[in-house]
Amino acid sequence: MRALPGTRRLLITWGVLMALTLVSMFSARLDQTTDWQALPLWSATMILMATGFKAHRVLMVYLNLRAATPAWKGVFIALTLLTLTLIAAGYLAGRFHLVG
Amino acid sequence: MRRDLPNPGWGPLSALPGNPLMWVLILSEMLVFTAFFALYAGQRALDPALFNESQRQLDTVLGGLNTLVLLTSGLFVAFAVEAISAKRIQRSRQWLGAAILLGLLFCLIKVFEYTSKFAAGITPETNAFFGFYYGLTAFHFAHVVFGLALLGLVSWRTTTENVETAAAFWHMVDLIWILLYPLIYLMR
Repeated sequence: MRALPGTRRLLITWGVLMALTLVSMFSARLDQTTDWQALPLWSATMILMATGFKAHRVLMVYLNLRAATPAWKGVFIALTLLTLTLIAAGYLAGRFHLVG
Repeated sequence: MRRDLPNPGWGPLSALPGNPLMWVLILSEMLVFTAFFALYAGQRALDPALFNESQRQLDTVLGGLNTLVLLTSGLFVAFAVEAISAKRIQRSRQWLGAAILLGLLFCLIKVFEYTSKFAAGITPETNAFFGFYYGLTAFHFAHVVFGLALLGLVSWRTTTENVETAAAFWHMVDLIWILLYPLIYLMR
């Protein structure tokens, strides 16, 4: 666990995180100020994928879990995937009126 | 017992940096947030029209700006860990100071957001969505404040273990916001 990511890897990760945040914002079509509609499915998918990748990068590089045991990596990735799955499930259920 | 691990003698927690008890806290906090996210997702599924209409009243750009601010403060904290590992205490303190400033900026933006919502008559009692909006973001805000206190504390007592411990908590705060932002602000 002592092997730290290093300045270069941290900077690249930061750049990726910034870019993906902007991708999420544009995918959510923030330009649509006057015509606020539900997102197309591709937008919602893009946002969730960008979020998942960002979470993965924070876990592996910022938290440096890449140097931890596979079990710890698995625990945190599984928890993140579970959270994303719940978010996606709630979103899709509402969108396609699967409950209520 | 492997002596090359950061915390030998802590069993499964021995491979994690900083104080192992912080990782117990991080895991439990993540589970609590996951449960709240599940509740939100369930409520959203029951009344998507109300949630969509309410989300329209949020400032998605301010939320995005706060994401950029928090992720950059996370970078500075990671730099502080790199510096303290190289025994550069002053440099580590400088990075921690920069991270604290950005953390304070996050708080400032959030308070601005809250006050503008209250000024518009939007409170936690307005509807279910705003109950979640205030509840989830305020709970996260409390973690930011606690994280800032931790960063301040380790800026004073700057050791490798202390900085790694505070950094782990701060990155958890980052991680939660990364998940919270699309959930509350973007997914409609």
